[in-house]
Amino acid sequence: MNLLDIRNLSIELETTNQNILAVDRVSLSMKEGEVRGLVGESGSGKSLLAQAIIGVLEDKWHVHADRFHWRGIDLLRLDIEERKNILCRDIAMIFQEPMASLDPTTTIGEQLAEAIDSKQLSGFFWQKQQQRKEAVIRLLHKVGIKKHIQCMKSYPHQLTEAICQRVMIAIALASRPVLLIADEPTAAMESTNQGQIFRLLASLNQLKNMSILLISHDLENITHWTNTITVMYSGQFVEAGTTEQIFNKPLHPYTKALVDSSPKANLQLPSKSRLMTLPGSIPILQHLPIGCRLGPRCPRAQRACVEAPKVQNFHGHKVSCHFSLKDTY
Amino acid sequence: MSELLAVEGIAKSFKLKGHWYHKKEFSALAPLSFSVESNKTLAIVGETGSGKSTLAKILVGAESPSSGKIFLNGQQLHKQQLKQRCQHIRMIFQDSGTTLNPSLTVLQLLDEPLKLNTNLNESQRRQLIRQTLQKVGLLGDHMNFYPHMFSGGQKQRISLARAIILQPQVIILDEALAALDPSLRSQMINLLLDLQQQMGLAYILISHNLGIVRHFSDQVMVMCQGEVVERGDTLEVMQNPTHKVTKKLMMSQNFQLKHHKHKCM
Repeated sequence: MNLLDIRNLSIELETTNQNILAVDRVSLSMKEGEVRGLVGESGSGKSLLAQAIIGVLEDKWHVHADRFHWRGIDLLRLDIEERKNILCRDIAMIFQEPMASLDPTTTIGEQLAEAIDSKQLSGFFWQKQQQRKEAVIRLLHKVGIKKHIQCMKSYPHQLTEAICQRVMIAIALASRPVLLIADEPTAAMESTNQGQIFRLLASLNQLKNMSILLISHDLENITHWTNTITVMYSGQFVEAGTTEQIFNKPLHPYTKALVDSSPKANLQLPSKSRLMTLPGSIPILQHLPIGCRLGPRCPRAQRACVEAPKVQNFHGHKVSCHFSLKDTY
Repeated sequence: MSELLAVEGIAKSFKLKGHWYHKKEFSALAPLSFSVESNKTLAIVGETGSGKSTLAKILVGAESPSSGKIFLNGQQLHKQQLKQRCQHIRMIFQDSGTTLNPSLTVLQLLDEPLKLNTNLNESQRRQLIRQTLQKVGLLGDHMNFYPHMFSGGQKQRISLARAIILQPQVIILDEALAALDPSLRSQMINLLLDLQQQMGLAYILISHNLGIVRHFSDQVMVMCQGEVVERGDTLEVMQNPTHKVTKKLMMSQNFQLKHHKHKCM
């Protein structure tokens, strides 16, 4: 059974003039124990989608979906309180900038202690306090911080960014989630630290069977760590499939351009040769093209592209394009 | 081919606050020497705190070195001759959004270096700005726009225009490609390579994306704690790294490379 099953989710922004469709009918499904990558450039609505899943969007954003199931429960039919309970219990999220997301005025130890649910503790209050402290230390050990005494006493600014991100992951793990949403966990980080964070997430996935939704703007960074990948462009669904399918046989012209433009993936290219690119730049939210939003930049665009294409499914490899590259392989 | 930029024994140390009878010094950059030829790219890789940004600042003249000499075309660059230096060595920063003055139009932004460094009159300056904007793939009419009206990739092009408008010989790219989206990044790489061929520029690329370093550079220099631990032709260094810092850097990204390679086969 699917853990998370979202069908045709749209997010609309209410403005004074007209409503803007920021995310246009995106589908996303996750199985238990899966690491799914969600890839898109800036303005593709990937962070919006994550925020819509955990329900922290402001009131001016309107979310509609044909189906929004969490472990078989239809979340759209529940009232807000019930939905909040389920989401708090099962889903946790870590954010882009760990330094900015942690409270700068309290110590790491206090912030972690706050995150631990009192349902996990038992006994009298002095016993609970002791248990809470032990739980904090266990969490820190779990994310690979050995000097727990020093770490608990320090404030976020005294730690490096990688350690802060580990603390963020520890806070997310405190509620023992089933799904962890990682929104660009390694943005602006050194490559050695990036590797550490990804390895930590991978080990959590293997040992705890925790599902991870890994959001990133760069396809080449995450392909090593994911089982399946969903690609988005400018708020529209582009392509979804296993990592091998996406990387070896991209069906959508946009995915193909992403794979071709990465210097890391094309090591056989002679150095200083020209890289494949798409012309133009990413459209801004106020001036989105009609139909397929890649249209003006797409090398295969034809007249039919003014209408948004339907999603086609080739053995679990879904693509949303009128003229997919299926015939070229 | 003759050396365009040569650096001899550049070092930088900072004085730390300490008690007056045991003053401490922190050496950010050990004495190092290197040279760059025109039409070539030197890449500098290393972790944070390895002194690569300090080196860039010294080269461009934003900081003065504690010791050592810099030669451009065989002539020594002195501290006093900043004017000469800022004509020939230009720099592009990581975040183009914050390095462009938001209250000036693109015309005013690009006019400033011309006013300070050349004797052109107004119509000639305007002509040159129009040409430069076209060279980096923008329209001449974009000169009346303000920076906030451009997207991230276009802003990076404007900073590139500001860098090449004085016809420099060396451009320093301090993580200039890191913050861009992948499709814009490859456009930018193509543009930089084209300009290198047209104008014979030498680039000094500071980056920690080894994929870009491999594609873009001829020589590579690996730094750790202010010292150069390994240098040589990019391909040779990447094929058989000898120092452990290089190996560690390669490891953190390279097993991903191998992974792709394996899949492609």
